[in-house]
Amino acid sequence: MKQFTAVILSIVFLFGQDSMTDRPNPCEDPLLNLAQNKGIKAIPIKDIPRFRKLMKACEDEGGYKSIEQIVYRDWQRDYSKAKTMASFTSTFSVIVFLVMIYYFIGLGIATS
Amino acid sequence: MKSQILRFFLSLFLFLGSFSLAQPKISVGLGLGLYEPTLSGFDDNIDVPFPTGTMLNRNFLFNWAVYYEFFSNARLGYNSYSSFEVGKLDLVNSKAVYRRTIIYRMFPLETYFRWKPRIELNFTLTPIWGRGRIFVDTTPGDKSEDWNQLINSFGESKPVSDLGATDAMINDWIGFSGMIGIRYYLSTRIGLDMKMGFMDNSYKNEKWRLQKKEVTGPKMNIDEMPIFSFKVFYGFK
Repeated sequence: MKQFTAVILSIVFLFGQDSMTDRPNPCEDPLLNLAQNKGIKAIPIKDIPRFRKLMKACEDEGGYKSIEQIVYRDWQRDYSKAKTMASFTSTFSVIVFLVMIYYFIGLGIATS
Repeated sequence: MKSQILRFFLSLFLFLGSFSLAQPKISVGLGLGLYEPTLSGFDDNIDVPFPTGTMLNRNFLFNWAVYYEFFSNARLGYNSYSSFEVGKLDLVNSKAVYRRTIIYRMFPLETYFRWKPRIELNFTLTPIWGRGRIFVDTTPGDKSEDWNQLINSFGESKPVSDLGATDAMINDWIGFSGMIGIRYYLSTRIGLDMKMGFMDNSYKNEKWRLQKKEVTGPKMNIDEMPIFSFKVFYGFK
C-alpha cells in the first residue's frame, strides 16, 4: 500500500499541470477563449475547476468585462438557440398540450 | 446487478460527456415526484396488517433522470419515479421483514423552448414501464435442516437455525404519461424543473408473479393519476 501511494504521489508530482500563476495573463488562456467562442458548456467537465479559477484570476487582473461577456454570451447563445421551436417540436408540443387538456377535462367530468 | 448496470451507464454518460466537445447536451436530474395512489390492497388489508402508510411511502416518488438533447428543441431520456416502503409484517409463523417498491420507468420525448433567457417551457410525452415488487423475508421449514446436512458434511459441528430466505413477487405493466413543465435556469448549466401532468397505468392485480407462478397481488388504483414533479437539473456537454 505504501509503495502504491508513493507511486501515485510521484506520478501526480511528475505529471502535474502547470500552476496558473506561471501563466502571464489568465484572460488569454485557451480555456477562456474556448468559453468565449463555443460557450461555457463546451468546456470539458474535468477542466471546470480550472476554468473557475481562471475566471476569478482574470477578474482579479481587471478582466471583469471579458468574464461578464463570456457569461452573457452563453446565456444569449442558449436563448437564441431555443427561443423558437424547430421542425416537429412545435407540433409535438401542441399534441402534448391537447392530451393534457383532454385528460384533465375527463378527470373533471369523472369527479363531478 | 441491475442497479450496477444503471450506474455503469450513468457513469458512461458522464465520462463521455467530459471529453466530447461537439456532442449535444446531456443533462441529469434529481428530484421528487408527488402523486396520490390508492393502495387499498395494503391499507385495507384485514388479514395481514401492513405498516401504516405515510406521505413518504405513499405520495412521494424519488426521481432521477438522464436526458440527451438530440435536436435543437428536443430531448430523449430515461426518467425513473420510485416509491418505497419498508417494515415488518405480523405473519403467523414469524415477524417477516417486508419491502415494497413501485417504479415507474419512463422513456420521455421532451420538446421545449425558452420563453425568457432563464425560463424554459417543456412538453413531455412518455411510455411507462411500471414494475411493482414485494419482498418478504420468510423462514421456510426445511431450510435449516437442509443447510445443516450440507455444512455438517463439511465438518461443521454447530447446527444453524432460523435461516431466512427472501422471495419477491413482481408485476410489470405498461402505461403512458404526459407532462407540461417550466424550468428556471440558475446558471447556464443548473436548472430547477417543475412539471405537472398525468400518469395512466394499465395495472392488473391478477398479473403478479411469484417464482414464475402467476398469483394475485394487492389492489392498487394507479390507473389515472395527476402527478407533479420537482427536479434539479445539471447540464453537461
